[in-house]
Amino acid sequence: MAKYGLLIDASKCTGCTACTIACQMHNQLPPENNYNRLEMMERGTYPNVKMEILPMQCMHCDNAPCAMVCPTQATYKREDGIVLIDHDKCIGCKYCMTACPYDARQLNEDRVPEKCRWCPEMLSKGEQPACASTCMNEVRLFGDLEDPNSELNKKLAQVDVYQITPEKGTKPRIFYVKK
Amino acid sequence: MKTIKRRTFLKATVAAAVVGSVPLSIGFNEFKKKAEEAPVKKVPTICKGCTSYCGLFASVKNDRVWKVEGNPIHLKSRGHLCARGHGMAADLYNPNRVVGPMKRVGDNEFEPISWEQAFQEIGEKSKKIISKYGGNSLMWMEHGSHRKFYVDQWFDVIGSSNFTTQYSTCFNAKTNAWLQMTGTSLNGDHMNAKYIIFEGRNFAGGIIPNGMNHITKAKANGTKIVVIDPRYSEIAKIADEWIPIKPGTDLAFRLAMANVLITEGLYDKEFVRRYVDGFEEFWKVNKGYTPEWAEKITDISANKIREIAREFAKNAPKAFIEPGWHGLHAHYINSTQTAQMGIILNALVGNFFQRGGLMPSASISLGHIEVPERFHPEKGERADGAGIDGQYRTVEPARGIAQITPDLIDNGKIKGVFIYNYNPVRSAPDFEYQKRIKDAELVVTIPTIWDDTSYYAAHYILPEHYYLERSDEPETVSGHVAHDHPQVAIRLEAVKPMHNTKHCLDILKGITKAAGYDDLYPFTVEDHIAAAVKPLGVSLEQLKKAGTLEFPANVKPGFPMKNGKPALKTKTGKVLFSADLFRVDGKMGIPTWVAPLVMPDTSKEDEFRLIHGKQPWHSHIQTANNPYLLAMSERYNGTYMWINKSRADKLGIKTGDTVTVESSIAKKNVKVKVTELLHPDCVWLPSTYGVQSKKLEYGYNVGVNFNDFAPVMVEPLSGTTMAQEVIVKVRKEGK
Repeated sequence: MAKYGLLIDASKCTGCTACTIACQMHNQLPPENNYNRLEMMERGTYPNVKMEILPMQCMHCDNAPCAMVCPTQATYKREDGIVLIDHDKCIGCKYCMTACPYDARQLNEDRVPEKCRWCPEMLSKGEQPACASTCMNEVRLFGDLEDPNSELNKKLAQVDVYQITPEKGTKPRIFYVKK
Repeated sequence: MKTIKRRTFLKATVAAAVVGSVPLSIGFNEFKKKAEEAPVKKVPTICKGCTSYCGLFASVKNDRVWKVEGNPIHLKSRGHLCARGHGMAADLYNPNRVVGPMKRVGDNEFEPISWEQAFQEIGEKSKKIISKYGGNSLMWMEHGSHRKFYVDQWFDVIGSSNFTTQYSTCFNAKTNAWLQMTGTSLNGDHMNAKYIIFEGRNFAGGIIPNGMNHITKAKANGTKIVVIDPRYSEIAKIADEWIPIKPGTDLAFRLAMANVLITEGLYDKEFVRRYVDGFEEFWKVNKGYTPEWAEKITDISANKIREIAREFAKNAPKAFIEPGWHGLHAHYINSTQTAQMGIILNALVGNFFQRGGLMPSASISLGHIEVPERFHPEKGERADGAGIDGQYRTVEPARGIAQITPDLIDNGKIKGVFIYNYNPVRSAPDFEYQKRIKDAELVVTIPTIWDDTSYYAAHYILPEHYYLERSDEPETVSGHVAHDHPQVAIRLEAVKPMHNTKHCLDILKGITKAAGYDDLYPFTVEDHIAAAVKPLGVSLEQLKKAGTLEFPANVKPGFPMKNGKPALKTKTGKVLFSADLFRVDGKMGIPTWVAPLVMPDTSKEDEFRLIHGKQPWHSHIQTANNPYLLAMSERYNGTYMWINKSRADKLGIKTGDTVTVESSIAKKNVKVKVTELLHPDCVWLPSTYGVQSKKLEYGYNVGVNFNDFAPVMVEPLSGTTMAQEVIVKVRKEGK
């Protein structure tokens, strides 16, 4: 069984937002719903200043707070690591939205707190989801953490990584390249 | 702005599909569910989100375009795609498309008419204009020159030379300088370079996805990237160094760079000896342009100028100044000289025709469709004076001067205007002035949406099929990115046309026939496609399947030579440091310092230069009514005008405040972003917004446009708009 992970090299991101809209198109989302986003920050003062961009989306945590707080088990974790939500079981209580430290969820048109799915229909075929394949700077790399020969593991062996708010104990499955 | 409510857009697309007679009598959720289960057909096409024209595959389900992806072969995309490419594919279902031919019946009122009536009336009016004033009083304007072959069939017969592109508002200074000094145009070989200077060139804003892929790969391999720009643009984010330059002074920086290269003997003497004409003349006038001189003008220290010149030379020939496009080549009175200096600096380090430097585009010839021989009278003079002695002799006549069209109508030279896939009322300076295009005897627009020009100036609107609804003749793929292999790409119809629209060829057939020119186009688009493919040695089926085909490499490094002599298409076959054509008014044709027309008096707290640039998710004005891309603007405060923090503090302005911006011709309100990422002398506007057509309900009145503030001007050498020669006063709203 594959265990999926995602490596993001934020230093390569130039903020074009193609990842956001490629996802919207693939998932047929309306304009105002987006499953991934960019956090942009200025650091320093003119002229010694830098722009930092952090691509954010559902981290598919191993200790997913959204799944833990869900009263109907609508949010569940698959064996391959992907966290999904069963629309039929969701009662719309929005506990998951509050519990997520990454602000990854948005109400969809049916009032279901939806989020990035890591597109299992692509990953299972060995293809990169739309947010990754459209990216001209190759910021994202999805892959199987269990497969020692996966491109993801090869890349992980070459770089230092960090995770977002590891102290919360969520065990996210997104790794960011350390500069 | 119309708020983009949940579901409204997708719902509208379903409604539009129903109107378009696609059998969809089902509800939204059901439609979506059905769509999920349907088989997917992938149709190759060519993007129309900007003028990079990336190769795409459109995924079609249930006769509806679901999504698009970059063609893995196409030089511009190579499997990747930017946000505007995705967004503009969805625009197929934009409810603000023109759904059939329209005739103006009032100020902002139109009535639908039949194609027959439209052709009849436009044909008759054209005929009248031609017989009364001559064929040269008809003008065709379009964004580029994609339809020139079709237009030529008519304009050659009526003797009109007035085919005008938007390039004078875009980059004419660059193409003019390259043509005069080199007779060619070269592309940066980003992937193999060790040192790249992006000066006034935001490659991550005006995006070629595969070009950016090369740049980030080069960077990972240690290539140094230097960005010189008043604004910390998106490409600055991955640069090793951002050097903010005082806007309008790039020419001084470049003159001083050359001065360092020559003074310190760092230039490629062998290259200059063999392949350059006019070096001695150049050096004579360049001697005084020291880094200390430039420091006072540019805000860049003399030491920094020396450092960059030295690093540039040290890494040569695998180093180049990105040739660029809009950024430095239309904004100022010195834009042509700035473009000339770009050529001279690259030539001084000998990077022409070198890997990692500047390389030519690979070429391949497409076949031509046979057209019957017809009598072609001698053409009249260009109405805008481009290329004409005593008028704008040095301006490229093939591109023209788009921004002065209302004057040409006022002075009676132009009586009828056809405007194809172009929105000059919004994208050329001075909105109120441009609206006067309406005063011509006949104004016909051929758009897909209700753009400002159609809304304010058109007498007739003849909507073209959206790009996903039509096939077009194949095109060669070149430019922007160095690539040894020629490519040919094609746009194929992905879905049937939804509305009562036509292909441009059929629109021209209808108009010309009614004007009395029978059978100017004895062929169909399919015939045109077949003729173009014929000499390629591939089958049409191969091209239609792959969308883009790559042919054997025909580019290699090395200066072009013929019989042992340099063979550029210039007078001596060499790079000319002095451009003959620019030797006007006693000038030497060699770039010397020309100060910007206007400079902000920064001792006044509220005075700034207004500059502009591209946002990576919008291009030109054509994306400004796209709900997805506008949602992105809303997410990231994309409509805000940028202002430097130290200046904003003095004016008591904070991010999110509304300010009043006033130039000599306009006063408008806009929200601001207070930032450290901008030179203090200027304010910056994203170049997309400010739609004024009330029929574009998503983009209407969202943000402001730099063209609101810029008066109409013509740069003397290349005819550009000089749209950054604009001083504005900025103050908090109500103060």
